[in-house]
Amino acid sequence: MPENDELNLEQISRELREPVALDASFDARVMAGVRGLPRHVRRGVWSRLTTPRTVKVRPLSWAALAAALVFVAGVAALAAYPSAGEVSRRPVVALFQPTPRAPQRVQFVIVAPSARKVAVVGDFNGWDPEHAAYQALHRGGGVWSVTAQLPAGHHRYSFVVDDSVWMADPTAPRAIDKDYGLPNSAIVVGGSTQ
Amino acid sequence: MESSSDAPIVTRVLRGDVEAYADLVGRYRDRYARYAFHMLGNREDAEEALQDAFTRAYRSLARCEDPDRFGAWLFRILVNRCRTVGARRARRSRTFVADEAALLDASEEHPAERSAWSEEIERALARLRPEQREAFLLKYLEELGYDEMSRLTGAGVSALKMRVMRACERLRELLSEVYSA
Repeated sequence: MPENDELNLEQISRELREPVALDASFDARVMAGVRGLPRHVRRGVWSRLTTPRTVKVRPLSWAALAAALVFVAGVAALAAYPSAGEVSRRPVVALFQPTPRAPQRVQFVIVAPSARKVAVVGDFNGWDPEHAAYQALHRGGGVWSVTAQLPAGHHRYSFVVDDSVWMADPTAPRAIDKDYGLPNSAIVVGGSTQ
Repeated sequence: MESSSDAPIVTRVLRGDVEAYADLVGRYRDRYARYAFHMLGNREDAEEALQDAFTRAYRSLARCEDPDRFGAWLFRILVNRCRTVGARRARRSRTFVADEAALLDASEEHPAERSAWSEEIERALARLRPEQREAFLLKYLEELGYDEMSRLTGAGVSALKMRVMRACERLRELLSEVYSA
């Protein structure tokens, strides 16, 4: 029945494209949730300089810019405050780190004998289980591992087994994902606590 | 549907205009609700996955590399949220898969809204393996090509073709059972 088969597929596709009625409050609920999140703000230069944050510096191409920023921030800080000792140290710490903490290669390992696929998701890859750089390979004996380059800093991550099961790393400290209650682990890259 | 670019709206949101995000919600809500509903089998879970996707997209908006293609980026998040919601529900043993009683109950909730034919399709879809259902919907609902499906799911093109073929065979089998009975 090839003709009927084709007809059925067309009918199915047409049926699937029928509108799906969502709850009338759906948009309001989404926007209420979004309003409760930190607002995106693209800051000005001064705000960027005085807000504590991690600054990534590429040694060659950004060295001159970093030096200029450091100079401007230093001069501005001295001009703004009578005593450099009284200046809040938080932004200065970020800018005057002696050596920028470079990304580091981190190996993730998990034992999952019955898995068909294992991926690592985390805040470093947008929690994307399909990210090519974070697909673990089966090394034999149920051991899966992947080595990936992670930016310096604190990260949360998890293993996703067979595209569906989230598993915390049994060898790492546990982090609580307050939003969704899924098991996450914590890692510090480039810090002394790693 | 995407009559104008997403990029200007994304820029407004990134500059602090939270309310502009409602335009993006309105632009993609209905289209992606269909995918979530057919993937998860009921409106409650579909709304949960879709709301999660919108919320996560907002939170990560600064990382959207191509604001012009916000919709495609959002859809990728939604596909993953559907996987997670489906898996979580399966762990709670309330899965729709092969749960005939739940399906019958669900279909009786809105008898006037849905035709018998669409109910049978939903019932048949729910009995597919999740990866087959996902591939089938990406192909026949979203009308994606296999290369795009591969980028979206991480599965190989040949694997996806196999999943779609198996899904079609199974759907035909299930639906012919209904109409030959």
